[in-house]
Amino acid sequence: MLCQRAAARDEQAFELLVARYYQRAYRLAWSILRDAEEARDVSQEAFIRLHETAGSFAGRARFSTWFYRVLVNLCLDRRRKLRWWRRLVVTDGPDDGDGPRETLDRVPAPAGDPLDGLEREQAVKRLWAAVDGLSPQQRAAVVLLVQEELPTSEVAAVLGCSETTVRVHLHRALAALRKRVAKE
Amino acid sequence: MGHPTAELIAYLREELSAPDRERVAGHLAACTSCRAACEDFRRLLDVLRAPAPAPPAPAWGPYRAELRERLAARTAPARWWRRPVPLALSAALAGALAALAWMVVLPERPRPDATVFEESLRGHLDLIRQRPVVERLDLLEDLDVITQLDRLAAQDG
Repeated sequence: MLCQRAAARDEQAFELLVARYYQRAYRLAWSILRDAEEARDVSQEAFIRLHETAGSFAGRARFSTWFYRVLVNLCLDRRRKLRWWRRLVVTDGPDDGDGPRETLDRVPAPAGDPLDGLEREQAVKRLWAAVDGLSPQQRAAVVLLVQEELPTSEVAAVLGCSETTVRVHLHRALAALRKRVAKE
Repeated sequence: MGHPTAELIAYLREELSAPDRERVAGHLAACTSCRAACEDFRRLLDVLRAPAPAPPAPAWGPYRAELRERLAARTAPARWWRRPVPLALSAALAGALAALAWMVVLPERPRPDATVFEESLRGHLDLIRQRPVVERLDLLEDLDVITQLDRLAAQDG
């Protein structure tokens, strides 16, 4: 197994892991951070952590789950550190707090198809722009679910929370996106 | 029964157990607002599953070279002036160890009164008592200094 070889300081195995995951790691970091430089830095840091701590991977979870957890934690830590600076320069930017709190009951159902009248490509672009407005945890949950195609149980393992919490994150995220799309 | 709001996405992804799935399906059959929300969520998930707008692509060649540099910097041995062990403590311990070696390893030399060494060691007790620091000195593991420290500490105390 590549990870076990990497843990045993097999540099070739480590290089193979990097080759396999670096683009996905960068993309996932960018999805959460929305900053190319930060995503580059944090994804590299995740590989350094992997190099240093591969031995602690017990093999109970899939390697990708374990690695994504390291990466997502680094991203969320970075977001927390950057929050103060971003507040200084962004006055009405994305919500960096706990995110929208709409519950399904409070969100009026759109009259028609929320995507009616939008070209598919435009819809995708606008929807992802709306994803930017979600909290980092919600955004991470959405990205892991729809782009990495992880089941809820693995999203929970990556985010270090329960499946119920992930479901709540996802529901709040989609309810906010639904409301946003309905407004457009 | 309340609205199964947090279960709708799991329902759409067929991740619910059979009883929960039946319960949610029953609720959807009766609740217009949940049915509408569920349908919208399904469409939103479909759109989100499409390839997301690509992030700005970094230069991948330098990316890996940069990663290797960072790793090399991280794994390189720390410079002596950056080592966490205070220089004074290192010097003190080096002196104490040299004295010990002089007494133990070179038995043909006339041995000084053991109290000279003990006094020297006692003078450094405050430094040596910084256990978290001392524990990082692997060098001490194979020596008998720790035993002596206990005895000296008892005398000192």
